[in-house]
Amino acid sequence: MSILLDVRNVVQTYTTARTMFGRTSEIRAVDGIDLTVREGEILGIVGESGSGKSTLGRMLLGLETPSRGEVIYRGNPMPPPHSVEWRALRAHMQLIFQDPLAALDRRMTIARQIAEPLEIHGLAKGDALRNRVAELMAKVGLRKDQANRYPHELSGGQRQRVVIARALASAPRFLVCDEPVSALDVSIQAQVVNLLRDLQERERLTMVFISHDLKVVRNICDRVAVMYLGRVVEEAPSDQIFSDPRHPYTQALVSSIPRPGQGLSGRIVLSGEPPNPANRPTGCAFHPRCRFADAQCAATQPELQRHDGHLAACLKFVRARQFAA
Amino acid sequence: MFRFILAKLVRAFLTILLVVTFAFIVLRMSGDPAQIMLGPDAPQDAVDAFRARWGLDDPLWQQYLAYLQQILSFDFGVSMRDQSPAIKLVLERIPATLALTIPALILKLCIGIPAGVYAALHRQSVADRGVIMASIFGFTIPSFVLGLVLVLIFAVTLDWLPSGGQDSWRHAILPIATLSIGGIGILARFSRSAMIEVLGQPYIRTAMAKGLPWRDVVWRHALPNAAVPIVTLVGFMVGSLIAGAVVVESIFSWPGVGRLIVVSVANRDLAVVQCLLLVIAASMVMANLLVDFAYGLLDPRLRAKPAAH
Amino acid sequence: MAFVSIRDLRVAFDGVRVLHGIDLDIGKGEAIGLVGESGCGKSVTWLAALGLLPGKARVEGSVTLDGQQLIGAPRSQLEQIRGARIAMIFQDPSSSLNPVQRVGRQIGESLRLHRGLRGAQARTEVLRLMDMVGIPDAKRRIDLYPHEFSGGQCQRIMIAMALAGQPDLLIADEPTTALDATIQAQILELLSGIRRETGMALVFISHDLGAVSAVCDRAAVMYAGRIVETNDIRSLFAAPAHPYTQGLLRAIPDIDASRARLVPIEGTVPDPAALPTGCAFAPRCPRNSQLCQNYAPDLKPQSAGGVVSCFYPVEADQTAMSQRQEVWA
Repeated sequence: MSILLDVRNVVQTYTTARTMFGRTSEIRAVDGIDLTVREGEILGIVGESGSGKSTLGRMLLGLETPSRGEVIYRGNPMPPPHSVEWRALRAHMQLIFQDPLAALDRRMTIARQIAEPLEIHGLAKGDALRNRVAELMAKVGLRKDQANRYPHELSGGQRQRVVIARALASAPRFLVCDEPVSALDVSIQAQVVNLLRDLQERERLTMVFISHDLKVVRNICDRVAVMYLGRVVEEAPSDQIFSDPRHPYTQALVSSIPRPGQGLSGRIVLSGEPPNPANRPTGCAFHPRCRFADAQCAATQPELQRHDGHLAACLKFVRARQFAA
Repeated sequence: MFRFILAKLVRAFLTILLVVTFAFIVLRMSGDPAQIMLGPDAPQDAVDAFRARWGLDDPLWQQYLAYLQQILSFDFGVSMRDQSPAIKLVLERIPATLALTIPALILKLCIGIPAGVYAALHRQSVADRGVIMASIFGFTIPSFVLGLVLVLIFAVTLDWLPSGGQDSWRHAILPIATLSIGGIGILARFSRSAMIEVLGQPYIRTAMAKGLPWRDVVWRHALPNAAVPIVTLVGFMVGSLIAGAVVVESIFSWPGVGRLIVVSVANRDLAVVQCLLLVIAASMVMANLLVDFAYGLLDPRLRAKPAAH
Repeated sequence: MAFVSIRDLRVAFDGVRVLHGIDLDIGKGEAIGLVGESGCGKSVTWLAALGLLPGKARVEGSVTLDGQQLIGAPRSQLEQIRGARIAMIFQDPSSSLNPVQRVGRQIGESLRLHRGLRGAQARTEVLRLMDMVGIPDAKRRIDLYPHEFSGGQCQRIMIAMALAGQPDLLIADEPTTALDATIQAQILELLSGIRRETGMALVFISHDLGAVSAVCDRAAVMYAGRIVETNDIRSLFAAPAHPYTQGLLRAIPDIDASRARLVPIEGTVPDPAALPTGCAFAPRCPRNSQLCQNYAPDLKPQSAGGVVSCFYPVEADQTAMSQRQEVWA
């Protein structure tokens, strides 16, 4: 598989607004990430709020320029935002995010919304445009008679289908889905996940799937990167990362998933607060919440290292068996 | 905290400087004070002498620098009309204006806010609809129309109250009513929507689920939160205590700041107009500062303490 | 005898009925889950019971607490029950706390109301409660404002506030939905720990079947304003009898299984203003017949335990078989 996107030691810092005390502080949303996105795969990015996963997603699309490091798209550096090359790239990469109602224009029929990107990029006109819209609607499972509806007349799942159809209009090769099913009910969520899977297979799309829902990620992704406080702490094929997590954080995350029909027994409940990028611990950012941490962890920041098909950034090389016991 | 205040003060100072500069330029571009002050038939040498006396022949930038230097040493110039210090003329008029605007402000607060809150608490009721209608009526009628209508009713037709002048407290009733009605309407409308917004918040449901009596839910949880947006509007009203009565003072021949503005602008009495604008700008800026501090008092989120995690 | 008893509870907003007759009993100390998708009426049931719905809601039926009728009860009577007998916590903890009041004061308010504690006595008790729900360094943080706490800590504070009145029943309305996975686990652990310690009953409202099964003994599944199935947790998950329950369980991706296609429930939840004539689930149901389209089934006890409202409930062995088939597919 060839490499579509190559993220090299990327850092993104934001400056917070001046407070009453006249202080500005720098927040590192992404703190040194190396990652590749291979052509035709679905890469999952998992993490809690504040882990920097959405920031990484926007940098993959070139919507944000990293403060350090670079993003390479098909062998070339990502062009700066709003340049001519950048604008040409827009048709090739699309973003789908959580709230479909916010993503849609409430005063436009759904057919108009799906047609819009085709018109903007000058891809179709007249009958060809109409046919293409009908084709896209069929592709995402919207009925013909829904073409002239407005977003508020549709259900949440149907709206997300409209958003997906619109994203597919310009025949993109790369799709970033940022929590695309989190706002949907379980039964509808399954419909949309299946749709995304089918589309990816049929169109040979490359997809980055950002989510906090591990169950969905497990189902849809080929490979998964787990993020904690702006860094990737573990990366492995989806089958391995959930059945045999190596990093203590991944272990806790996997064990925290409530399973239907099972009680609370045998779960690792992490103590402490979710990570706060404004207040980063020294050494391994996870060490204050880690069961295995010692003085070394507080001092040294671990790098991603390969073991048994996983990449994990942990000084302790914890085995899954230890936590299962 | 100190830097925060300093930044606010610097910004306030810049705002005032901007107003003063703007006024300076506009006033000097819009007519020759010498011509206006001395009349169209004044002899040329009188006009020349007047210009020389007030430095009007110097290049504009020199006049401006001289003016800035003056006000920085708290010298606000003298009136071209009667040579008395401009600041004295302005300060003399302020009590008369405040005698109208402060009671009007109190009325706005004491009627507008309770009416709006009451309407919000009794949504869709007759009282709510009444408040909405009355407030629309209040803020859509321009004050010069309202003033004249009130004069027509209470002074001309009923002959209960005087139509103008400043001889007794009875003379103040109509101007105060004219001034306050619009503000009451705006404040009622605004308080109503602020309160409705707050009553829909999850923490109100929490307070109710706690078993708190409804009265306490309103007083302890709803009102303190609704106060934040209301304070913005009240701050604006406080800011216009000095300059907000221009029209009303003219209608009722009330010798306040507003009348002074009208007369001085008509006469191109530069020093007085500039001094007036400076005082007005300063009062607006002060009110803004007060609003900022009130925000901090009312809403801890705006104090921006570093989070204690 | 049931401690809280709901009978034929019906709620309508602007003439549109959203709750169509709920029957539910909660025993002393019992933990029951209320499961369903958005709009199914699981929260409305309890907001109606406590009189917390907006004025335009029409509430009929009966909710009794130790025999005392709550529906239509005067406000003062409800205020003595809220917080003292039945407490409630909500989905979005950060916005459920008053942003301009210190958290200590908000917890203390409940103590004053229901236990008459004031001053130093109240403060000591607030500190004890904050400790109990796991707020570290409570002494220093009692005078902070809600925005100075994370979402998970705000939920802990909400729980402390609910415990302040020493209620017999806690209604937790989607208490973990807005929280991150690891924090969700903490709150679930906290809730079941508190239940063990205090013996209070718990109603856990959630769309997350996993979370429900982690803390509850029994669960009721709701669809379009009706309870469609009630059973103890183990049986409900092992052998769902209502096709909707079965569909919900199948729609959840399995973290332990391979990347099999998900099995969604086709179609969408019906609009409450235009419900189908018969069973509300019929249009989405693989087992529906003419009978289902014309008549709504009642909740009936099943031989294998539990109650189900379905003309063609899924047999226990059928579930097992279809699950087996899935594995082979």
